[in-house]
Amino acid sequence: MARSRYRRTTLLRELALIVVAAVFSLPFYLLIAIALETTEQTYRAPLSFPLSPHWSNFSQAWNTGGQAALPRSLESSLIITISSVAALIALGSLCAYAIARRRGRLSDLVYILFVLGIILPVQLAIIPLFVVMLHLGLVGNYAGMILLNVGLLMPLTVFLYTGFIRTLPRDYEEAARVDGAGILRTYSRVVMPLLRPITGTVAVVVGFIVWNQFFEALIFLEGSRYQTLPVSLYSFAGDYVARWNLILAGVAIAIAPILAFYLFAQHQLIRGFSAGLKG
Amino acid sequence: MTAAVTFSDVRKVYPDGTRAVTDLDLRIEPAELMVIVGPSGCGKTTTLRMTAGLEEISEGEIRIGDRVVNTLDPRERDVAMVFQNYALYPHMSVFDNLAFPLYARGISKTEIRRRVERTARLLELDGLLKRKPRALSGGQRQRVAMGRAIVREPQVFLMDEPLSNLDARLRSDMRAEITSLQRELGVTMMYVTHDQLEAMTMGTRIAVLRDGLLQQCGPPQALYDAPDNLFVATFLGSPVMSLLRGRIERERNALVCMLGGQRLPVEGNPSMPALNSYVDREVVVGLRSEHLSQADGTVLNGPQLRGLVRLTELLGAEQLVRVDLPVATLTGETHGRSEVAEVTARLDAHAHMAVGELIDLSVNTAHIHFFDPTTTRAIH
Amino acid sequence: MQVPWLLALPGLLALLCFHFLPAGFGGYYAFTSWNGLGNATWVGLKNFRAIANDPIARGALWHTLELAGCFVVLVNLIGLALAFGLNRTVKTRHLLRSVFFAPVAVSPLAIGFIWQWIFDNQGALNRALGDVGLKSLERSWLGDPSTALWTILVVLVWQYSGLAMVLYLAGLQGISDEIYEATLVDGASGWLRLRKVMLPLLAPAVTVSATITLVIGLRVFDQILALTGGGPVAASETLATQVYKQTFYLGRYGYGAALALILAALIAAVAIGQLTLLRMHEQRL
Repeated sequence: MARSRYRRTTLLRELALIVVAAVFSLPFYLLIAIALETTEQTYRAPLSFPLSPHWSNFSQAWNTGGQAALPRSLESSLIITISSVAALIALGSLCAYAIARRRGRLSDLVYILFVLGIILPVQLAIIPLFVVMLHLGLVGNYAGMILLNVGLLMPLTVFLYTGFIRTLPRDYEEAARVDGAGILRTYSRVVMPLLRPITGTVAVVVGFIVWNQFFEALIFLEGSRYQTLPVSLYSFAGDYVARWNLILAGVAIAIAPILAFYLFAQHQLIRGFSAGLKG
Repeated sequence: MTAAVTFSDVRKVYPDGTRAVTDLDLRIEPAELMVIVGPSGCGKTTTLRMTAGLEEISEGEIRIGDRVVNTLDPRERDVAMVFQNYALYPHMSVFDNLAFPLYARGISKTEIRRRVERTARLLELDGLLKRKPRALSGGQRQRVAMGRAIVREPQVFLMDEPLSNLDARLRSDMRAEITSLQRELGVTMMYVTHDQLEAMTMGTRIAVLRDGLLQQCGPPQALYDAPDNLFVATFLGSPVMSLLRGRIERERNALVCMLGGQRLPVEGNPSMPALNSYVDREVVVGLRSEHLSQADGTVLNGPQLRGLVRLTELLGAEQLVRVDLPVATLTGETHGRSEVAEVTARLDAHAHMAVGELIDLSVNTAHIHFFDPTTTRAIH
Repeated sequence: MQVPWLLALPGLLALLCFHFLPAGFGGYYAFTSWNGLGNATWVGLKNFRAIANDPIARGALWHTLELAGCFVVLVNLIGLALAFGLNRTVKTRHLLRSVFFAPVAVSPLAIGFIWQWIFDNQGALNRALGDVGLKSLERSWLGDPSTALWTILVVLVWQYSGLAMVLYLAGLQGISDEIYEATLVDGASGWLRLRKVMLPLLAPAVTVSATITLVIGLRVFDQILALTGGGPVAASETLATQVYKQTFYLGRYGYGAALALILAALIAAVAIGQLTLLRMHEQRL
C-alpha cells in the first residue's frame, strides 16, 4: 500500500473534511434537539439544544395509537424484512448458481434479463400487480408483502450472487462431484459456505431496501394493521401536523433501529454498493 | 550526470513495530549496477522504496550524489523507477506512456518527441508507439516500463524485481539486455530481486539482505567464494551448498575434520589459521557441488567421503548426484533426519550411477567452507 | 453434469411474474381507459394526448427531467470530491466515510420529514438566517412554487452524495497503487495526475455512478411526498408522484399507466445510454 506522507496539507484537508462532515450531520443533530424540546421551545429557540430534555415526547410518540402506531409497525417491519431477506437469499442464490455455473449464451441472456429487471421502474408494474394481488387476497397482509418483496428484489439478489459466484473457482464443486455428491448436496455443503461473504452483503443491502420501502408498502399495506414503519410514520406526520417536536420524535424512533443496524453493518453495506460498480 | 547512492545507518520501522530495515550502511558507486538480493520480507523492496521516496525513512540518511534526500518528494529526487508490475498507464499509448514523465516536467514537445523516439529505438519499440499496453506482450510491456525510466535521463535507476513476471526464457534474454543497457547508459542502477541467479549474473556488486540486515556486500564472485555467513553461503549458488556437522581435531601437526566416522584432512585451506581455535569443537562444514568429484582410485589416501547414491539428476552437460553420508546434518536444515546428511556432487554426465550404490567422493579440501555453529559466521 | 435450470425456476418465475409480465400489462393499460374495475377499453393514444394537454402532467415530466438532471451533476461532483478527499492518508477517513454515507441508509421518507422541518417557515433555516441578521433571505422554501423543486434538490443531494462517494471510492481503489506511485516518481503534480491519469481511469466508474444516480433521480418519490406532497400548486410534481396520485387517488389507472410508461421509457433510454458509453470506454482502453 502506498503510505503517503502525512503532511501539513493533509492535515488541512482532514480538518476541512471534518468541518464539512459536522455541517453535513447537522440535520441529525437538529432531529434530536427538536425531538427533545417542548412545544414552546420549538417556537422560541429551536436551534439550541434544550437544557432539560423533554423525554416525554418520545413516550407520547411511542404510545400514539391508531394508524400511526409505531410499535406495531416496527414489529411488522421486522417480520417482513427478515422473512423477505431469508426467502430472497435462499431462492436467489440457487437461481444465481444455475446462471453462473451454466456455460452458454442462454445463461448470458438470462443474466441480462435479470439486470433489466433491476432497471425496470416499479411504477409500471405496480398497477397490474396490485390488481392481481388484490384479487388473490394478497393485499394488506404479511404473505402478500413478503411475496411482493421477494419478487421485486429477486433481480438485484440474483445479480449480486451471480457476480460473486462467477469469481469462485470451480475446483471445490468438481472435487465434490468426483467424490460422488449430487447437485443439491454439492450446493448445500460446498457452495453455500463459500457464499457467506456475499450473503452477508446481500442480507444487508436487501434488508435496508426492504426496511426503508415506502411506495410499495403504501400501496399494499396502508390502512391495514400490518403496515410497516415508513407508512405509519407517514400517518404519524399527518396526525401531528405542525407539532414538530412530536413529529421528529416519531421520526427519531422510526430511524433509530436502522441507524443502529447501520453502525453495525456499515462496512457490508458500503461494500455492497461498491459491488454495483462491477456491474 | 549519474550519481552515487549512499545509505547511512538507515532504519525503517513500521507503526506496528515491525523492523523492515535495520542499520543499513551501503554505498552504491556511480554507474554501478548494485543488486540487492534476499528472500521475501528481507527489506530489499522497502530499501528501494525509501530511495524513491515512496516510504518514509525512520532513521538515518539516504544521499543521492551529495544531496540528502530524506525529506524530498519522489519528483525532486531525480530517480526513475521500474515497477514489478510495470505500472503502465493503461489508457495511454506507448508513446504517451514514455512521454508522460517529460510532459510532467514541462519539457518542450519537440524535445519530448526526440527523446521518446530515441529511447524507443534503443529498446526496439519503434513499431509499437501507437499501441496501448493492453495490446503488448509481457516482454514488450517490460521494455516500455524501462523506456519510461530511461527517457527521463535520471541520476539513478531503481528496478523492483522487473523480471519476476516473465517466463524463464524471456527472463534470461532480458537479463542480458538490462545488463548491457546499464553499461551503455552508464547510469547508477539499484536492482532488487529475490533471484540469486539474477544477482550473480548481473551485479557489479551484490548486497545480500536478510530480515532487514545487510549480510554481505561485494562482487558476486567474492561472495560466492568467500561467504561471510551461512545465510549468504546457502543463498548464492545453485545447487545449494551442502552443510554437514563436523569436528575439528588435531593429528600430530595437521588439522583434521571428522565427519561422522569419516576423516578429512584439511590442507591448503584459507581458514586453517583460524581453525586452530576450533580444535575439539564442532563446526559446520560447507561443500559446494563442484568441489566434490568421483574418486577414480588414483589418489588412494586423498581426502574422500564415502556414501550411498540417493538420486541423480541429469542436466545434459553434467549430472547432479545426491549422496547420503553417515554424518550429522544441521538439524532442521537438511531433510530433518539426524544421522544421515545429503551432499550434492557435480559429476560427469556419462558416469553411470545407480541409486543405492556405494560411491566414493573426492573432496577438494582447499575449498571447503567452515562456519561457527553458534554465530553462523564463516571461520576465516 | 450441468447445473439444472430447475434451480433457477423460482428466480425466473419471480422475474417473469413480478417484473416483465406486469410491466407488459402496465404498458398495455397505458393504452386503455381503465378505472381499476370492470373492463379496460382500448383507447389508443388518448392517454398520451391527455398528458400532452395537461399542464400538470407536462409540468411533472419537466420537473422529473430538471430534478434528475441537476441531481446527477451535483451528486456526482460532490461524491467525486469526497472520494478524492477521503481516499487515503486522512486519519479519520473511515469515520467520515460512514458519516457521509449514513443518510443513504436511512428511510428517504424520514429524511424528507427532517428536512421538511428545516425548511419550514419557522424552521431551522429561516431561524438561522434570522439569527445571523439575514432576515431578508428568509422565505417560504417549500411553499413557494419557484423554490419548492430546488429545495427538494438540496435534500436529495444531501442524502445521496455518500452513495456517489462510495462508488467513486471503489473506482479509485481499483486504480492500482503502482500507477499512483508511478505518477509520483514520474514527477506529475497533483493537478496533472488528476487530469491525465486518475480521471480517465475513473471513466467507467463515472458512467456507472452517473447511471445509478440518474435512475434514482428519475424515480424519486418518498422525499417529495414528505416535503411538499407534490405542491405547491403542482410545482414539485414528478412522473413518480403523478403515477401514484392519478392511479391510487383519482382511480385513473390507464392514465397513470401511461405516465408510468413514459417514466420507464426515460429510464430505459438512460440504461441503453450507459451500455453504449461503457462499450465505447472498453474499446478505447
